[in-house]
Amino acid sequence: MELLLMTLITGILVGGIYALVALGWVLIYKCSGVLNLAMGELTLIGAYVTLTFYEMGIPFILAVVCTLLVGVALGFLTERIFLDKLIGEPILSVIMVTVGLSFFFKGMVEFFWGTDTRVFDPPVFAITPINIGYIKISPVYLWSFVLAIVLLIILVAFFKYTRWGLSMQATADDETAALSLGVSARFVYAAAWAIAFMSAGVGGALLGNINGVNISIGYLGLLVLPAVVLGGLNSVPGAIVGGIIIGILQNLSGTYLDQFFPGGVKQIMPFAFMAVFLLFKPYGLWGWERIERV
Amino acid sequence: MSGVWLPCGDYHQTYSEDQGWWQTTFIKTKMILLLAIMFLGIPLLAPEYWVGVANMVGYTAMGALGVQLLIGYTGLITLGHAAFIAVGAYTSTLLVLRFPWPEFIVHWGLSYPISIIVAGIFAGFWSVLFGLPSAKVKGFYLILTTMAAQFITVDFILTQYVSRIGGRGQAFSLPPGTIHVGPWVIDSDRKIYYVMAVLLTLMVIVMANLLRSKPGRAWVAIRDNDIAAEALGINIVWYKLLAFFVAGFFGGLAGAFWISNTAALSPEHFPWFWSLWLVGVILIGGVGSIHGTIFGSLFMVVVMELLQWAVIPLSEYYPKLLIDFAYIKDSAFGLAICAFLIYEPNGLAYRWWQVKNYFNLWPFSY
Repeated sequence: MELLLMTLITGILVGGIYALVALGWVLIYKCSGVLNLAMGELTLIGAYVTLTFYEMGIPFILAVVCTLLVGVALGFLTERIFLDKLIGEPILSVIMVTVGLSFFFKGMVEFFWGTDTRVFDPPVFAITPINIGYIKISPVYLWSFVLAIVLLIILVAFFKYTRWGLSMQATADDETAALSLGVSARFVYAAAWAIAFMSAGVGGALLGNINGVNISIGYLGLLVLPAVVLGGLNSVPGAIVGGIIIGILQNLSGTYLDQFFPGGVKQIMPFAFMAVFLLFKPYGLWGWERIERV
Repeated sequence: MSGVWLPCGDYHQTYSEDQGWWQTTFIKTKMILLLAIMFLGIPLLAPEYWVGVANMVGYTAMGALGVQLLIGYTGLITLGHAAFIAVGAYTSTLLVLRFPWPEFIVHWGLSYPISIIVAGIFAGFWSVLFGLPSAKVKGFYLILTTMAAQFITVDFILTQYVSRIGGRGQAFSLPPGTIHVGPWVIDSDRKIYYVMAVLLTLMVIVMANLLRSKPGRAWVAIRDNDIAAEALGINIVWYKLLAFFVAGFFGGLAGAFWISNTAALSPEHFPWFWSLWLVGVILIGGVGSIHGTIFGSLFMVVVMELLQWAVIPLSEYYPKLLIDFAYIKDSAFGLAICAFLIYEPNGLAYRWWQVKNYFNLWPFSY
């Protein structure tokens, strides 16, 4: 029972971070209809940039803020150099450009930062676990979760209440109508990419604190894809719920299934679950069902 | 067959002429010349190093043919094709190394050829298994199920279970001389080249023939508009699954070929990266064309070789460039995909078509 509770709570906490990265994904999808397969690499870049700032002696929170700034700059640059030219092209080309970008980013990260695992040194969060009743939680998870939730609230508020956020929603709904109302689609896309870079960057920084920073962070960033699909590709609450569900599922399978199927069942489970889930609900939990006509 | 040249404008009288492979004497000569270069020129005249490069081109093309079939002709985006190549490679390896073949089969050197076919069929069915969701889901959601194929097959089943068979740990070693085709021992690049050339030629012929017959037309109809295709009486689930089967079959053949080209087989040969690489190959070559697949493979492998040559002199000043060349390669590949999609979205096949047209219509292009 205790084990179950602890697994669940760890799952929820990790799920919070997934939700943050998933949100970046959904934002890009909602604004531009692009499935961004470079998200894992964006997470990776975030982790390494934060680590670099941290090793320069900047406090962690400030390092995260600097990462956000770098993320905005990189997001704008990426959009301007690569994706701007593809507005109006078929979606497959745009998706494949993000695949190309993921190759590019991954190669660059491996080239400049190497492939050895590096840890935040000195550790950002205390190592001794916090006791809540019976349950022990290591502070990394807790603080990561809190930070992730705060950022989630900020992002959702931005999306719902600010002028920029509203113009992004308008573009997502109908690009032509938004253009005629004076919304700059180019700006919206650039902003979407900047936000995606930011959320992935923070996600990466937090994930890097949990397991150390190496290339597998990119893979963890990829685990977010099942989360996004579970929630439905264009649903913000779906991304959050999906992230948490995937976190729980992963930890449950790690705890209970690992003895029957030793090895990487924890990494595989979200994908296996997803493939089966899609058979029954092909648009995720809250994705828009597209009614197709000839 | 008409004369040496096809006159300006189309003058086919019957459908069979229109669908013919070698429509003029010129094309026939050209293709026979090409086959001669492929089967005699390259293996006999090229240096050993370039024969090795050609083997990589062939392996890439074999894998990419399946991806081309799924993405380019049926419109089913797949990002997990390396899984089926891996299934083929492992099936073939296990059959060759561990299956209790009757004496006469080993004696005649048939175990590898048989294992190639079995590997293809097995990989085909494995592919159908992961293609099943395509009956219901499409687009982005389908991308996820194919990714699931990759992670479940390679990172879990193959790494954790299949690799452990025989207690060898991570890799199956395939010392030179293990692979026999008939009386020949496949132990040098030139012999591997012949295995590759025969397989690739057969695969291209099969694929081209499929595409100009009923299944091919059904696939293209599904790609262009699946609802319209269904309204026309095409059983889209059946044809989608058939596409997955054929693509998986090609993948399996590619994998079975790969074991003749490697000294040890481990799951690291089939990362997710390789699936993406294959998709990149068809994008650069041209989506929806068979020769585009070949162009793409040629371009990717040969350009990467040339890039390595370009890096060697630079590494005198900055040695990290050569040590970490694999990462430079990844980045260059990523940039190449982006550049092609932005500046030449129809790929190399379109450029080839333009060049051909220029000469066909010369000197009056109107």
